[in-house]
Amino acid sequence: MKWVCWMIAGAVSLTAVSCATKPPEPAVVLTGNIMVDGPNATEHGPPRDKVLWEYRTAAAAMRQGKFDLAKRFLDDALTTLQAVYGPDSNARKSRGYFHAEAKKTFIGEPYERSMAYIYRGVLYWMEGELDNARACFRSAEVEDSDTANHAYAGDWVLPDYLDGLVTTKLGGAGSDALKRAQAGAKFVKLPPYNPKANVLIFLEFGPGPTKYATGQYSEELRFHVSPSVVTSAEFQVDGKEFPVAPTDDVWFQASTRGGRVMDHILANKAVFKTATDVAGNVALIGGGAALMSGGGRDATANEVGLGLLAAGVISKLFSAATTPEADVRSWDNLPRYLSFASLALSPGRHTVTVQFHDGVGQVLSNFTKTVTVDVPADGQDKVIFVSDQSLTPQTI
Amino acid sequence: MKLVSPFSPFATLAVAGVLCGCASSGVKTPSGVPVTQMRPDEQGFVAGTGVESQDLVVVTDKMWRSILGIPQIANAQGAPRVVLDPVENATRFPINKDIFLARIRAELNTKAHGKVIFLARERMATLEHERQMKQSGQVTATADPNVVEFKGADFFLTGKLSGLTTRTSAGTSDYILYAFQLIDARTSDIVWEDSAEIKKQGLEDAAYR
Repeated sequence: MKWVCWMIAGAVSLTAVSCATKPPEPAVVLTGNIMVDGPNATEHGPPRDKVLWEYRTAAAAMRQGKFDLAKRFLDDALTTLQAVYGPDSNARKSRGYFHAEAKKTFIGEPYERSMAYIYRGVLYWMEGELDNARACFRSAEVEDSDTANHAYAGDWVLPDYLDGLVTTKLGGAGSDALKRAQAGAKFVKLPPYNPKANVLIFLEFGPGPTKYATGQYSEELRFHVSPSVVTSAEFQVDGKEFPVAPTDDVWFQASTRGGRVMDHILANKAVFKTATDVAGNVALIGGGAALMSGGGRDATANEVGLGLLAAGVISKLFSAATTPEADVRSWDNLPRYLSFASLALSPGRHTVTVQFHDGVGQVLSNFTKTVTVDVPADGQDKVIFVSDQSLTPQTI
Repeated sequence: MKLVSPFSPFATLAVAGVLCGCASSGVKTPSGVPVTQMRPDEQGFVAGTGVESQDLVVVTDKMWRSILGIPQIANAQGAPRVVLDPVENATRFPINKDIFLARIRAELNTKAHGKVIFLARERMATLEHERQMKQSGQVTATADPNVVEFKGADFFLTGKLSGLTTRTSAGTSDYILYAFQLIDARTSDIVWEDSAEIKKQGLEDAAYR
């Protein structure tokens, strides 16, 4: 029995050693205010969650009109996203049996990456950098291009539409991108470009998708979306009303990506977890039976029994240590719907009122936003970003 | 004959050790990586498929050398005046595109020994303000400030970055064509054009696919 004691002592000491090399997890106290929690978590939280918090904070900042802040967070997040190629120690570990997927550095699923590019594109347009805005819209489509079903590859509507609009404004031919956008539009008939349009209105509304996990060990990634109270919008400016329907459904983009390579890895982890658990049970029962049959007098039976018990414990430890749980970290303040409108306004001050409608067309007055815009005389585009979560009133 | 258990204490300890080691989340480089100074023309250990410093150096080096060799510059009577016209970025990568022309200008100013002179058009607001202060007598002037001495351009240097992207389960491939032109400001002739092509491919870890 001496070696059993040795084994226990060894296991304890090994556990102690492994814990000694484990860095302390940064603790972030959340207040519930994203504009406080986001910068705090980005600065002091786990590095693997940094991009997640940058995404969340950027979206919140956009809605508060803090576009410089959104730009800063998105730029940092996209820098990480663009350098994701090749070996990555955290990603490699997350594929291992004993590390959860959520240990990897978060960059988001393709729909989240696309949204980061779309927001950054809007911000570039605000700054008058149309070609860089177009670059972002193109990258948004590229992020969505590796789907299991190719019918859903690169099928965002708004990025294609805006790609063509920028190209047209820069003197090129945007008709191909317009055709792609028109072909993909499910909810709205996209109008041809108006080259004289100098006011661009980006709209977003409804709660976006979040992630959850199903399966015996929560190894299957799924997407959930709450029903949106807001289903369409309308804006009024200079006494005219312009209805706006959604161009893109972010939940649709999340749910049509199809299976991931990581899903197979997690499935394998789940199989391993089950197999080692079952093997452990068998060994423990077998070991117990051998000990009982020896009755304490048969040394060989006792040794075999103890060996099986030890193997059973080890197998159970393997099973317990296996982590097939899917990564459900979500950019949880995304919108459900995106939309866009462009119009030509004379230089000077205008007031834009945006009303959001429910499913039967009733105005949801508590969501109404007012934006005062100064349209420049130099011909540069004025970009307005309005969410059903935006602060109101705003002056830009 | 005594049976030997396959679960000897040392073998068991070794397996337990592997298990504990695998389960630990010890980091690979707990002390971090010291700041590493690298040449701008070499690929660093952080890389993507987009535009990076080594591309900038290779492309702009090719361009300024090519510009120096054209007759309109090499055989010009007096130094031609060149104005930079912003590069158009038609790739999928948002970049600080001005950096291309800035490096070509800096290299030409350094290496061309006055064969070509660039006009600081992006500083016109400051220059106009200075001239107005001289005209109003707020500051001194070494020449008559009422005489316009701002030079006109003989050539415009501009360019366009175009890209092609493929993304499949095998990875991401990005091709970028860097094309630059020197345009005669009087005739609109494109008196020089050169290009460089760079193609990069990469595949992210399976955890991200």
